[in-house]
Amino acid sequence: MSRDRRSSSSASAAAIFTLLIVSVSWAQTPGPLNAITDVPGIEVGHFPLPSSDPTSPPPITGTTVVVSKAGAVGGVSQRGGAPGTRETDLLRPENLVEKVNAVVLSGGSAYGLAAADGVMLCLEAQGVGFPVGGGHVVPIVPSAILFDPGRCAAFSVRPNASFGLAACQAATGGPVQQGNVGAGAGARSGGSKGGLGTASTVLTTGASNGIIVGAIVAVNSSGRTFDAQGNFYAGFLELDNEFPLIGPSATDVVPPSNLLQNTTIAVVATNAKLTKAQAAKVAQMADDGLARAIKPSHGVGDGDTIFVMATGTDTRDATNLVNTIGSTAADTLSRAVVHAILAATVGDCRVKSYCEQFPQNCAK
Amino acid sequence: MKVSVVCVVVLVALSSISSPAWAQVPGPNNAITDVPGIKVGHFTGNPLTGTTVVIAEKNGQGVAGGVSQRGGAPGTRETDLLKPENMVQIVNAITLSGGSAYGLAAASGVMQCLEGQGVGFPVGGGNVVPIVPSAILFDPGRCGAPFTYRPNASFGLAACSAAQSGPVQEGNVGAGAGAVSGGVKGGLGTASVVLDNGVIVGAIVAVNSVGSTFDANGNLYAAPLELADEFGNLIPIHGGPPPKMPKPAAVPGGLLRNTTIAVVATNVELTKTQATKIAQMADDGLARAIKPTHTPFDGDTVFAVGTGRISMASFGDLSVAEYVIGSAAADALSRAVVHAILSAESTPCEKSYCDLFPNACRNRKKGAQK
Repeated sequence: MSRDRRSSSSASAAAIFTLLIVSVSWAQTPGPLNAITDVPGIEVGHFPLPSSDPTSPPPITGTTVVVSKAGAVGGVSQRGGAPGTRETDLLRPENLVEKVNAVVLSGGSAYGLAAADGVMLCLEAQGVGFPVGGGHVVPIVPSAILFDPGRCAAFSVRPNASFGLAACQAATGGPVQQGNVGAGAGARSGGSKGGLGTASTVLTTGASNGIIVGAIVAVNSSGRTFDAQGNFYAGFLELDNEFPLIGPSATDVVPPSNLLQNTTIAVVATNAKLTKAQAAKVAQMADDGLARAIKPSHGVGDGDTIFVMATGTDTRDATNLVNTIGSTAADTLSRAVVHAILAATVGDCRVKSYCEQFPQNCAK
Repeated sequence: MKVSVVCVVVLVALSSISSPAWAQVPGPNNAITDVPGIKVGHFTGNPLTGTTVVIAEKNGQGVAGGVSQRGGAPGTRETDLLKPENMVQIVNAITLSGGSAYGLAAASGVMQCLEGQGVGFPVGGGNVVPIVPSAILFDPGRCGAPFTYRPNASFGLAACSAAQSGPVQEGNVGAGAGAVSGGVKGGLGTASVVLDNGVIVGAIVAVNSVGSTFDANGNLYAAPLELADEFGNLIPIHGGPPPKMPKPAAVPGGLLRNTTIAVVATNVELTKTQATKIAQMADDGLARAIKPTHTPFDGDTVFAVGTGRISMASFGDLSVAEYVIGSAAADALSRAVVHAILSAESTPCEKSYCDLFPNACRNRKKGAQK
């Protein structure tokens, strides 16, 4: 996903800043899709997708599902102050079930938790789930929601089980559509249009060679992702010119209209073989990626929740790689946040997208 | 105060367990609905599985809640928001349901039901988001039932629509309909206690445990906590060879899958932090009534709510008040477990406790104790 980048002095400064702050001790590059689906076995489905007809209105809420049919060891970090969640208790390391089959991210506030019902039915029909004898399965489907109802439509318009079913049936391992799709359809972020973003990192040197980390996030934050000049806080984490930005310029910043009705939700996936406890640690470290990309984050009205799915197809003992994976997960998540904001090209009924607000900052 | 002499003797003899430092008596229904502001509704399926909803309100608004989630195989919704540091300060209802994780769908129906009544966390424009934490137990596919028959949103809607104060049906109903417990039929039970300082505490539980509620002789572990002959003059079983225990029904080819889920409520106004502490202490009531409990195969989860009819400050030292309420909640929950087991009825696949130990139950008049 590399793109041409216009050279600028700020870009050079950002590169130096990167070296100082991140001090990466491992070589890294985005995966071929720069998406969470670069992790083998991870599939993503959205419902709804934008209409191919550009004159039709964009979707106003939706559901995104991240599927691992083989099951992935799960973890969670739930640090936002107004969460809406399902099945986070079972993710605690001491609890029995180790693997999750899917994670559902959805709009609709707590009503949107119903989307996971549809994902469970979809997976059960495929025989995917925790085996409970007699050939039966219970799909393990943790879920988190964000607040978007009533923004551009009636309050009662919200994801239900049919959204989850459709998103699950649409799940594939290919490129992941970003912006105003799925769980990011109705999202807003610090006074701008929010959205859905994804990114990936492939580690290529040393003991971590071959580790892949991907992230997907629905950014619906009270806090902003950029400073008063329009510089993305996480811009310095760019890999391979992935952000098509020209450079900063001072302009107006629109304040968010409601500080208490938000929430950013995300999934980080890796091919590493982690225990549940290690997956929980990676989730905690990944959560710092939100802190670096969104300011403030984990606010009172943000139910910010980060899930981890470790597929374990890289079968090496990852005990000594947890720190590297956690740090990479944080950076990958930060980059996914930037992708979400840049891909949110269409504002909704009341807010503008970043690129509408700062056209001179966007190379498009 | 109708505590019998025999019962007092038993309580004194077992004071190391129950330590009742305050006078206590069951409420008029001996049910969680004795707590003002609490309503209960069941919906029972056929084959046996179901959903039980506990609705909590003060002046039409939700009340503070907390949770203790210590079982090893939980299925839950909205427990994160109950953490004391999180923004939402209220819960409107708690859903207990069969169906394993599929049964979490019941809470979606409860949300619809409450939204239709305008009940929920206000989010502007007259709109509400009902706050409905939920936990499930494992019962699908038991006793020949199709695995795909389980509570869905319609169960939650029906249970919520049926919610009322007053007596609460026990046994093979609601979330306890398909329950089993340590080799006998499990079920749904409830109990309440009124302390002489005006504190009311109630509990409701769906007992679906790996562990047993009685010892090798058939004596119920929590029998000494009886108040006012509520267990119907159980006859203690002294020694002798215990009856042959049927093995707990295992899912074919799988491990035992169970889970006991409960709600305790008090009329005292609680903060979320206090409700969390009450839930933790109440959870000890499961430990005293079921052995083993909180195993890797039990998703045991206990919710607590305070309906705010009286202020905790009226009791002086807040910590002492919390101690008293938490202790009373544990005992009420233990007693509710006993009611669940005594009220359960045999099915073609599972004998009830009273059918397994007819001598213990021979003085008990069916249904007469509530």
